Amino acid sequence: MSFTHLHVSTAFSAHYGVSWPEELAQTAAADGATALACTDRDGLYGTIKHLKACMDAGIDPIIGVDLAVFDDDGDHRTQVAGRVVVLAHGNNNGAGYRALCRLISDAHARTSGKAGGAVPAAVTRSELASRTLDPKTLKPVLTVLIGPDSDVGRALGGRKYLRPRTLFKQWIDAMPAGTMVAEVVSHLSAPGEPLSTAHAVRMLKLALEYNIPAILSNAVRYCAQDGAATADVLDSARTLKSLPELSAEPLLQPTGQGWLKTPQQMLQLGKEIMNAAGQGKADLTKLLSNTEALANKCRIDPILDMGWKKPVVPEASIIGIDADPMVELTQRCEAGINRRFPGIKAEAEKQLRSRLEHELGIICRLRFASYFLTVAEVSRMILDMGVRVAARGSGASSLVNYLIDISQVDPIRHDLIFERFLSGRRSTLPDIDIDVESAERHNVYRKIFDRFGAERVTLMSMQNGYRARGAVRDAGMALGMPEQEVGEIAKQLWRFSARKFREALVEKPELRDFAGRVERGALEENQQLDLLVDLTERLDRLPRHISMHPCGVILGDATLLDRTPVQPSGLGLPMSQFDKHDMDPMGMLKLDVLGVRMQSAMAFAVREVIRLHPSKAEVVAAGKHPVEPGGNGPDYIAPDGRIDLNAVPFEDEPTYELIRSTHTLGCFQIESPGQRELIGKMAPREFNDLIIDISLFRPGPMKSDMVRPFLEHRHGFAPEIYPHADLKPVLQETHGVTVFHEQILRTFHVMTDCGLDRADEFRRALGDEVHEPGVEKYFRREAIKKYSPEVVDKVWGTLKAFGSFGFCKAHGAAFAVPTYQSAWLKAHHPEAFLAGLWEHDPGMYPKRLLVAEARRLGIPILPLDINRSQAEYRVEKIQHGPDQGKLGIRLSLTGIYGLSGAELKRIVAGQPYDSLADLRARARVSKPNIKRLAQLGAFDALHKDSGGKANRADLVHHLQALQSSPSKKAPDVIEGQLSFALGDVELRNLSPDLPEPTMVDNVRAELDLMAVDVSEHLMESHRPLLDKLGVTTANKLLGLRNGTEVLVAGVRIATQTPPMRGGRRVVFISIDDGTGCVDSVFFHEAQEESGPLLFGTRLLLIRGTTRRTGPKGISLSASKAWDLSRSEALPYAELLPAEVGLPDEYTHRGPLHGISRHLAITGLGS
Amino acid sequence: MGLFSESVSVSCTDTGQPQEVQWKGTQYTVTNEPVRWYERRQWWLEESRAPLGHGAGLVDHEIWRVQLLPTAEPEPNRSITLDLVRHLGSGRWRLLRIHDAAPSRAVEPEEAA
Repeated sequence: MSFTHLHVSTAFSAHYGVSWPEELAQTAAADGATALACTDRDGLYGTIKHLKACMDAGIDPIIGVDLAVFDDDGDHRTQVAGRVVVLAHGNNNGAGYRALCRLISDAHARTSGKAGGAVPAAVTRSELASRTLDPKTLKPVLTVLIGPDSDVGRALGGRKYLRPRTLFKQWIDAMPAGTMVAEVVSHLSAPGEPLSTAHAVRMLKLALEYNIPAILSNAVRYCAQDGAATADVLDSARTLKSLPELSAEPLLQPTGQGWLKTPQQMLQLGKEIMNAAGQGKADLTKLLSNTEALANKCRIDPILDMGWKKPVVPEASIIGIDADPMVELTQRCEAGINRRFPGIKAEAEKQLRSRLEHELGIICRLRFASYFLTVAEVSRMILDMGVRVAARGSGASSLVNYLIDISQVDPIRHDLIFERFLSGRRSTLPDIDIDVESAERHNVYRKIFDRFGAERVTLMSMQNGYRARGAVRDAGMALGMPEQEVGEIAKQLWRFSARKFREALVEKPELRDFAGRVERGALEENQQLDLLVDLTERLDRLPRHISMHPCGVILGDATLLDRTPVQPSGLGLPMSQFDKHDMDPMGMLKLDVLGVRMQSAMAFAVREVIRLHPSKAEVVAAGKHPVEPGGNGPDYIAPDGRIDLNAVPFEDEPTYELIRSTHTLGCFQIESPGQRELIGKMAPREFNDLIIDISLFRPGPMKSDMVRPFLEHRHGFAPEIYPHADLKPVLQETHGVTVFHEQILRTFHVMTDCGLDRADEFRRALGDEVHEPGVEKYFRREAIKKYSPEVVDKVWGTLKAFGSFGFCKAHGAAFAVPTYQSAWLKAHHPEAFLAGLWEHDPGMYPKRLLVAEARRLGIPILPLDINRSQAEYRVEKIQHGPDQGKLGIRLSLTGIYGLSGAELKRIVAGQPYDSLADLRARARVSKPNIKRLAQLGAFDALHKDSGGKANRADLVHHLQALQSSPSKKAPDVIEGQLSFALGDVELRNLSPDLPEPTMVDNVRAELDLMAVDVSEHLMESHRPLLDKLGVTTANKLLGLRNGTEVLVAGVRIATQTPPMRGGRRVVFISIDDGTGCVDSVFFHEAQEESGPLLFGTRLLLIRGTTRRTGPKGISLSASKAWDLSRSEALPYAELLPAEVGLPDEYTHRGPLHGISRHLAITGLGS
Repeated sequence: MGLFSESVSVSCTDTGQPQEVQWKGTQYTVTNEPVRWYERRQWWLEESRAPLGHGAGLVDHEIWRVQLLPTAEPEPNRSITLDLVRHLGSGRWRLLRIHDAAPSRAVEPEEAA
């Protein structure tokens, strides 16, 4: 016999379902089922995965949803009466699927899209009823299952006779004929409890009484019994109550029987229900045949019902094209040739044209012309908004993309292969990713919605699954452990999968304390920590919620909302319930419109340059740009001073000098400690070097030791080796080392003559257990015809090892453009560039490090000033003092702790102020914030101008006193009456009582309120102690010999644990000491020595030996670390001569002391 | 509850229903159709581990209410009703509750040595 489960939640029912679609489909198929439903709660979150899982398992998918229904008699916006399952009928050309999508969108239409919204996702009964019939044919296309969790089912649990009948009757009256069944479920709980057999019997009898078909289900939440405990923990996470609390209510599942039972077990269950109901065999047969009949009605044809893998793009008419899209595309490419390649002729033109014909031929065969025109339309629209835009990813491989302005990279110049992007052998839409200024991203989204119409556009979503920290928190809550205790444990979990928690306890030194507690707990019969580990592992990867994908926008034709349910995103715009994995299967066109902060920072910098230097001559002088004899400077600077970054040639020597200096903090892609090391070793000389550098700095190449041989060949330390002369043209640019996907494709093609399109398929199969053996067989068979067995062996070894993780050169080329541009700005206009970085914070480091970088570059940091600071960072020409004539960066009023956006706006609108009273009256800044501004020195200039004798401490004290006294309404300045400029009497009359605040006080206030140290570097005050201990500063390291033992000290700015060859974890910790960064590496031994200090500590003293990494690069191999803020624990005995006691400075408390507010200070959170 | 006390020996039919029970030295026969259900356990108190793949029986256990007569002297006035629990992991049986004639007045058995 066969049984079809019609009510099954997958793991994609967040905080509810336990098992993945693949497990469920495989298990069902193994039990002999021919179909399986997926009915996730509130949406189709797991549906497409279910479709694929069923196709793989060889069974028919059935799709539906488990949905809440509003109480007809209650408040229609908030009160839910129960839940029902709704199944789509299949084999009706998608009519059922369409209705299901629309129904689910209805259910979400009123929700806010924000967490904890008051309105639940639910439908009214009339909405449900109206969707069950197809609007065209008026035939039923949905079936509603009234089960134990419906209002009827819940009423059946009580003792009332009439109530469930009234409710059931209401359903029958509301629903069109043939759209409703009763769902009979028993989880075999104790008699009288919900989901007991007696409960099932009542539902069965009700159905018989009203002549409504009854079906049997098991309301499945997990694939096997083992999942029941996970379901308990998920219930706890969903309701935010501990298991003991839930158990007392009682709100937990009454039993653990909601698993995917076998047909025999379901038959047995049916028998028990019929026995208890006093019904006979015929009734059991009827129950089971009803179930199978409904299952048959709901079998979905993935292709005909859901458009499986059939690409859909916007109608040509919507982008203003009446002609054949292919003709239009060809014409636009022609026009592009003249623009991109003016004056091209002869051999170059022939090559260009043949490449173009090749690409257009493939696009024509795939019928993707409209797709390219759509993307071009979006690109043009963004450019017209005046927003910086750049294509990223393999899209840069296409000449067509370059000619129609989607991409800025010339694929011919960089030798990029179209087949890596698109070929006749791929039927799915290719990915084109578009980077825009992050600050403009939401505006770009809105514009796309306007341009294409809300019926054709939706945002893509993403699934957020449990990772170790979240899992341990929720597991701890389930067990009722104190939040603080669990928080402490969570802090120590550093980037490993929750599934490997127990393994990590043994291995990771930072978990040593916790592992000890688990062990002692087990001995003392306190098993809570042991359970915590097990439950954390159970939660690993399970989806928690969906959210707006950071860049995905789905574009379709007018039927898009028939093919995906949508719900509001936090942004207010609708968001699909499908994620990136669902796009190809559903034939959806997804554009990645990614907000890139660096693009915003660069746009900001260009605006600052033109503001300060409003003419070409001034910009040329300020930026030291090259001027040819008799000329007036480069063409990429317009007469008004505007710099066209995209037109800056890639051959600027000062830019490469800056890059080679490794002072690349703030530069796109090359600022991380590892990248600075690599750049120091590689010493890039030209644009292609940047492409190679970016491509090498990936987990794969780093892990497989491709970098070292590459560098040795590059610097001529070792001769370049090619497996065969034929491969020299392919591998020459990387000195014989295979780095790029493009090289893998060409290697396949050269040696087997397979064509680049098939070569790309081979490349994709590399590293795939199933398909790789076939590729190997093919390669060996074909290559041996022309090459010796040794060559074939060697090349295959390379392909196999590097193929799966090499980097696409087109990606590297697209990335290298902003890398070059940012370095160019830093080299020529460092003040404007840093101001842009401070404003948009694009990098991996805390902002305070970029402030330190300005200090290192000798750029004055101008303090906060109530009359000069704006809502953004500004470059200012300094008028007085020792720095007169220099450019400095003025701190912005944004990002001050406590200061609201409204206050900020009022302050800026009302500038300048002549007194505190003036500020209070016009900007209405709260008392605590006035005090904060005073602490930060924002009134120092005003104070000085007033002629007062007191200092900042007196002022803060005065404001503090005012804060605690009751507020006195200041006399309003009457509109139109000019207040007489008296100067500030309040400031002038302050009495000087208190000592001037110390530098440490000031820096502490800055760190506390702004998370940056402005007045001086926060390490400065530690210097006397560090000098006594003999600590070396970062700027001195480069002068030391390789292998010198040193002590360094600083504030943590980055922590990384990249994957490493051999699998042993290596921890990179970078610190900043005010003279620069020290990048230190902790190998296994040093991790053991340092234990819990590895991840939790802000101020570090590190002992290690220098490792020279290149002409300009040096790092530290650490042997041990100490917490500098716990100065009593420092190793004075080891470091100081015996006769010298503790230095006086050892009790010194630095500016960070007592500040716990800002993780942003140290980059600990990342 | 949760006082699993005496171990009892139970033999079952092919479909897993209890048929005969050996308790306090007496052999009993199940006389009526037994009733079965599952009850929750407070596994987070009772268990020290709950690893993935632990299997069945962590969250609930199987309970059978059986009406018994001594096999040797099947006299109606010697009828007793017992709730038996089968541990899903080990398959072992224990006595959970003894009912007298009126099943509503169940008594908890004493803790066994």
